[in-house]
Amino acid sequence: MMSGRDGEFRFNRRQFGLATSAAGLALSMPGYLRPAFAAGEDSAAVIAGKVSGLIIHNAKLGVMETPLTLLRQHKHTPKEILYSRFHFPHEGEAAWYDTIKAPDFPDWTITIDGLVARPRTVKAADLAGMEQVKRVSVLQCAGNGRAFYAAKQKVAGGQWHNGGMGNIEWEGVPFRPFLEAQKLLVSSGAKWITAHGWDHPATPEGSSFAKSYHIDDPALDNAILALKMNGEPIPAAHGGPVRLIIPGYYGNMNVKQINTILFEAEQSPSVYQSMGYRMPLVPVEPGKFGANDYTLTNSVPTYGHKIKSAIFSPLPEDKPGAGAVEITGVAFNDGRGPITRVEVSSDGGKTWTDAEIEAPESPWAWYHWKAKGTLAKGENTLISRATDSLGRSQPLDGLVWWNPRGYEWNGADHVKVTV
Amino acid sequence: MRRAILLWAVACLGLGLGRASADEITLPDGPGRDLVYARCQTCHDLGYLKESSGIPASAWKDILVTMYGFGLRIPDAEKAQIVTYLGTYLGPNPPPAAPAVSTADAAPSLNGGKLFEQNCSACHQKTGKGLPASFPPLAGNSDLFLDRLYPVHVVLNGLTGKIEVGGKTFNGTMPSFAHLDDARLAAILNYVRGAWGNAANAPAGMRPLAAVDVKGLRDQKQTPKEVHGLRASLLK
Ligand code: HEC
Ligand code: HEC
Repeated sequence: MMSGRDGEFRFNRRQFGLATSAAGLALSMPGYLRPAFAAGEDSAAVIAGKVSGLIIHNAKLGVMETPLTLLRQHKHTPKEILYSRFHFPHEGEAAWYDTIKAPDFPDWTITIDGLVARPRTVKAADLAGMEQVKRVSVLQCAGNGRAFYAAKQKVAGGQWHNGGMGNIEWEGVPFRPFLEAQKLLVSSGAKWITAHGWDHPATPEGSSFAKSYHIDDPALDNAILALKMNGEPIPAAHGGPVRLIIPGYYGNMNVKQINTILFEAEQSPSVYQSMGYRMPLVPVEPGKFGANDYTLTNSVPTYGHKIKSAIFSPLPEDKPGAGAVEITGVAFNDGRGPITRVEVSSDGGKTWTDAEIEAPESPWAWYHWKAKGTLAKGENTLISRATDSLGRSQPLDGLVWWNPRGYEWNGADHVKVTV
Repeated sequence: MRRAILLWAVACLGLGLGRASADEITLPDGPGRDLVYARCQTCHDLGYLKESSGIPASAWKDILVTMYGFGLRIPDAEKAQIVTYLGTYLGPNPPPAAPAVSTADAAPSLNGGKLFEQNCSACHQKTGKGLPASFPPLAGNSDLFLDRLYPVHVVLNGLTGKIEVGGKTFNGTMPSFAHLDDARLAAILNYVRGAWGNAANAPAGMRPLAAVDVKGLRDQKQTPKEVHGLRASLLK
């Protein structure tokens, strides 16, 4: 199943039919709306080059998720199935990034400005001539798993399950050495680095997308200005020609189509930095803390991946039989310390076994794991829970981190299979 | 799979939550629904509303504040109507049974200018000038007269694909407005054809639209792409 045959793209219509059947969103829909999900939109018609059968959350924005039955087939997630997440319509002037083909912008530039004595504009073409490094890293939407919060109180937005992620090989120019080589003469007042992409809102009153990182953020030590994804020029839909990749950071932090880097005293006023994509510092309750109650002091941006694991098999679609079963899946975190343990249960948490963990390709990549379990007649609840060397582990009940915008779900993964 | 589709179809019939054409998401009928169609499709489609259905009314209220941050600019009275609609029809409780008569009042006000403002201005702007690169102008747009019925096809079915207006390229999606009745759509289009100096482009003898003209095309059910094809053929 996880043959790891990278690059080889396999897809079978029956699988996605099953994956996108009413089982999908039903969990988070109130009963009376349940089957509405089965709407007949075709992901292949939304972004050119995507396969059919991805789960569409917003067609106008090209937001779609990968069924796990597809995701689990590949060591590195191919562009044809990788989840997609835009904030603005990929229409009009923005129609160029409505495809998984590489964009054709030979004159793309990146401007570095702000609190620097020597602002610079660098040609993307020149980046290609610089030293390149590879970073295998999980790319994951901060809203991945949002649907699971509905068990406490449904939150607005795309109801993602576990398919808003992929394991990707990026390649590009190391970020800090690149900035140093520009001899910018950064002022001592600069505390933040802000990245802007080309994309812009549909109306002039809208807020542009930007992300700010603390200037000393150690995660930036591993960042790259990426030019390649899985060995090819980055597809337009995934942020080409140049994307800032910060390994171990949630998707939104990896700014697509980067064209501006600013050194600033304050973080960006973009609502995507100040209000969206933030997590409350302490657990909050529905009805007491709302979607607009975030401040710069009571919350933090969704920076590094919280430790997480996902069960890849068996899934209900596999229709496993009773008896011994091998349970497989992946785990990952922000790369700050290795995943040291994945505990697995096939009886709803009564008994646990430690999974065998495969060495990852990089600190930020998927760790594949497998464990033995037993399936009984009837319904079985499989659970996986990862722990890392820093002692961080997944809460058994992810609802403890319920938040009104539904980010950073990392509860122990639960999969129900009926035999 | 067949079973899932069947269930879904049943739900759509029962609740009016389904799709008019392949890509069009429709919402349950109720007071305020048309305002949602008019104000909430400028920056994204209704997919986010559909997927968010079931959240409490207070969360819908929060959503409108969030949308202000994203650029939504509408009067407070409209916000209140929208929040009430969303809290009632896309809230945690099953919506009330569909009203016996459609929410369209018995004797609709047929002020085309007002109806345009309510339904079309979020994208085409009150001035009819549109927004560069996103929404084409209707002011000074001779396509309105490509033939007598062309704009009726557009408002009933929507339009998608690359078009050129006044030498500028647009490549967006206009949603269908088939939820508005025949008389209203005719009134809006007559207004658009007369406003902003457009009347000067009217070919001699082109009669104003009547409700029956809209009615005549309603059952034709084209996709937005097909309307794009029609537009191209009329331009030849
Ligand atoms: C001026 C642009 C604009 C308009 C008009 C607009 N929205 Fe949004 N909306 C956005 C943006 C931008 C997002 C976030 C998109 C993303 O992150 O993918 C969003 C997201 C949403 C979401 C998902 C939850 C969230 O907070 O991200 C919901 C629900 C939503 N909008 C509802 C509405 C409703 C209801 C209306 C009409 C009253 C509306 N929107 C009108 C821009 C707009
Ligand atoms: C959500 C945004 C939106 C709303 C609301 C909207 N339109 Fe449009 N409209 C568009 C877009 C986008 C296009 C161009 C589509 C394309 O690029 O193919 C368009 C195109 C048109 C055209 C065709 C223009 C041409 O040159 O062929 C007409 C006519 C039109 N709209 C009328 C209306 C009327 C009347 C209303 C109100 C009932 C309305 N629109 C509401 C977005 C909108």
